[in-house]
Amino acid sequence: MLGGVFHAAVLFLVAAGLQLVFGVQRILNLACGSFYALGAYTGVSAVGWALGAGLPAPLFVLVLLAAGVALAAIGPPIERLLRTIYDRDEAFQLLLTFALVLMLEDVIRFVWGTAPVQLGGVYLVYGQARIASTTVPVYNLVVIAAGALIALGMGWFLARSRFGRIVRATAENREMAEALGVDMSRVYVRVFTLGVGLGTVGGALVIPATAAMNEMGIELIVEAFAVVVIGGLGSMRGAAAGALIVGVLKGVAIATWPEVEMLAIYVIVIAVLVLRPAGLFARATA
Amino acid sequence: MMTSRRRFLKLTGAAAAAVGLPAAPARAQSGPVKIGVLAAKAGVTAPVGESGLRGVQFATDRINAGGGILGRRIALVVEEESSPKDTVERFRKLSLSDKVDVVSGAVSTGVGLALGPVAEEMKTIWLAWDATTQKGVEETMPKPRYSFRSCDNECEAVMASILTAKNWKGAFRRVAGINPDYSYGRDNWAAFLAIMKRHGIEVEVVSELWPKLGSTDFTSHVAALQQAKPDLVFSCFWAGDTPIFMKQAHAAGLTQGTKFVLTTGGGVHESMKKAFTPEGVLLGYNSMYFEHPRASALMKEFVRWHHEQFKEWPNYESDHGYFTVVAYKAAVERAAKAAGGRWPSVDQIVAALEGVEVESLSGPRRYREDHIMEATFFQGYTTHKNKHDFVTVDPVEAMGTKQIQKPSGVGLYDWINSWKV
Repeated sequence: MLGGVFHAAVLFLVAAGLQLVFGVQRILNLACGSFYALGAYTGVSAVGWALGAGLPAPLFVLVLLAAGVALAAIGPPIERLLRTIYDRDEAFQLLLTFALVLMLEDVIRFVWGTAPVQLGGVYLVYGQARIASTTVPVYNLVVIAAGALIALGMGWFLARSRFGRIVRATAENREMAEALGVDMSRVYVRVFTLGVGLGTVGGALVIPATAAMNEMGIELIVEAFAVVVIGGLGSMRGAAAGALIVGVLKGVAIATWPEVEMLAIYVIVIAVLVLRPAGLFARATA
Repeated sequence: MMTSRRRFLKLTGAAAAAVGLPAAPARAQSGPVKIGVLAAKAGVTAPVGESGLRGVQFATDRINAGGGILGRRIALVVEEESSPKDTVERFRKLSLSDKVDVVSGAVSTGVGLALGPVAEEMKTIWLAWDATTQKGVEETMPKPRYSFRSCDNECEAVMASILTAKNWKGAFRRVAGINPDYSYGRDNWAAFLAIMKRHGIEVEVVSELWPKLGSTDFTSHVAALQQAKPDLVFSCFWAGDTPIFMKQAHAAGLTQGTKFVLTTGGGVHESMKKAFTPEGVLLGYNSMYFEHPRASALMKEFVRWHHEQFKEWPNYESDHGYFTVVAYKAAVERAAKAAGGRWPSVDQIVAALEGVEVESLSGPRRYREDHIMEATFFQGYTTHKNKHDFVTVDPVEAMGTKQIQKPSGVGLYDWINSWKV
């Protein structure tokens, strides 16, 4: 169960980035998985450097967050590239973002090599906790809490803040928002950067518990798409609910009937597609 | 429209040319000996492909420094191993366009199954590193002529199971398996259970987990294992999933009091950090162990070269690569002697490769008459007493493939059940 929620927390961050960008810019961004992988690799390097510079080990999680946020700086130039295809067919968007996936994979290979990269000695800094007769590393709980906090923060931000209102207005009706004086290109840059940041922070947060591998992005894209189909494309609440469903279902399947681990997720996906094609939390489209 | 007879002949002729039906392409008898190399560069197999390529490079440098093969230098033509379909195309290109004398490489079983028939069709010698022409544990090509393949995939599982039966009998009953969800994982786990049975060890399987190859999150699997409370966990993870699994198992306290058998984890030995890999784990290094206390001078030279060049300690795939090149050289020289000193034909080289034995990095290796590699496998129990930040093994156990590889023409399980124990 808890293992499933841990997975769900990470999955949520990537899926939320995918949702946000699609909701506003109508771009299905396959590269969200690459941002996740890039975040993981950068997290390893940043913490390794910070610990080497004498940072006390318990503060490493702040370094990871900072690395994830700083890496979001690759958002604006990539958004500039995507701007050329906003008005074109979805096929072009898929092709271009998939090209980005391949290019970023090569960037990772070039910078960090092909062997898995890991962060030594910080996973158990916060110790282990005993919950219902099983031992869980406290760091897993930290990640779950961070995921939940970011979800709540996103919810508040979209519902209450001024920029959140503009984002929602743009998602509802791009032309109307533009006619009312919203500078669309600025909104797009910010939203895309935020979407990138969600992915890179997700990757950076997960890395103490795992190792960074080149193909980790692709692995997550597939699951993020399942999340999006279940939750409904473009919906933030859908991303949270979908991630929880996929993560927990996976955990329960592994504990009870491991053979159906992958199958179970896609049975739900198919059920949602048949019964509620727009997803559980689909926004009414204009 | 009627198709004229002449037009029809032209078409069929073109078709025949397109599928490469004509006899083996003529190869140069002078200039460098061209060795085509298929090395994975992306995905889970990238580190393995890179490692094999390094072994090939080391062998090539040494042979060229010593005057080449019968006075001809070796030139490598490196191509990428990727999907079976694309790799087959590259194999054809190496044979037809680059006119290589021999192809060395490939590590994925899926690719191997596709390359086998193509090597026959192109009449080009293919010396596999790790890819086999086995599906499950059954041969898909009982009598290949131009393909020479590696040791059986199950050798490491057979060896680890024998060691487990020998050293841990009576110390475990509840067993759990966590293995990658494809033929390799399934076959290794089945071999382990069959050997436990053959040794009269009663086990209770409390959990069988099949994560996808290349997974990076095992928290749910570890939780399931905690619930199942096994005495022994068996895994044939061989890539980056190995350290991730051990790290998460350790963080959840699973490594305390549970025995671990990692048949192939030595392939990524440098990432098996002491911080999360306990002592006493049975760890397999396949057919080469970089820090063997009785390593040959050649092996020591290679390990030194490898560490200077790449800042890494080598793993077994290097020796597969090394062996293919050195075996090819030995076969050419043997065949040339029989042919009165002239450069031998492809078929003469094939005949000379059968039964050829050479000194590889890890010790003597040979090709069996049925084109299967014979080598020595190394496993041992992990220790923290070394100069590295990762585990090594002490004592080191070695077993030859004569003991742990099924003989040709026999089913794996028939062979296991015929053991005297």
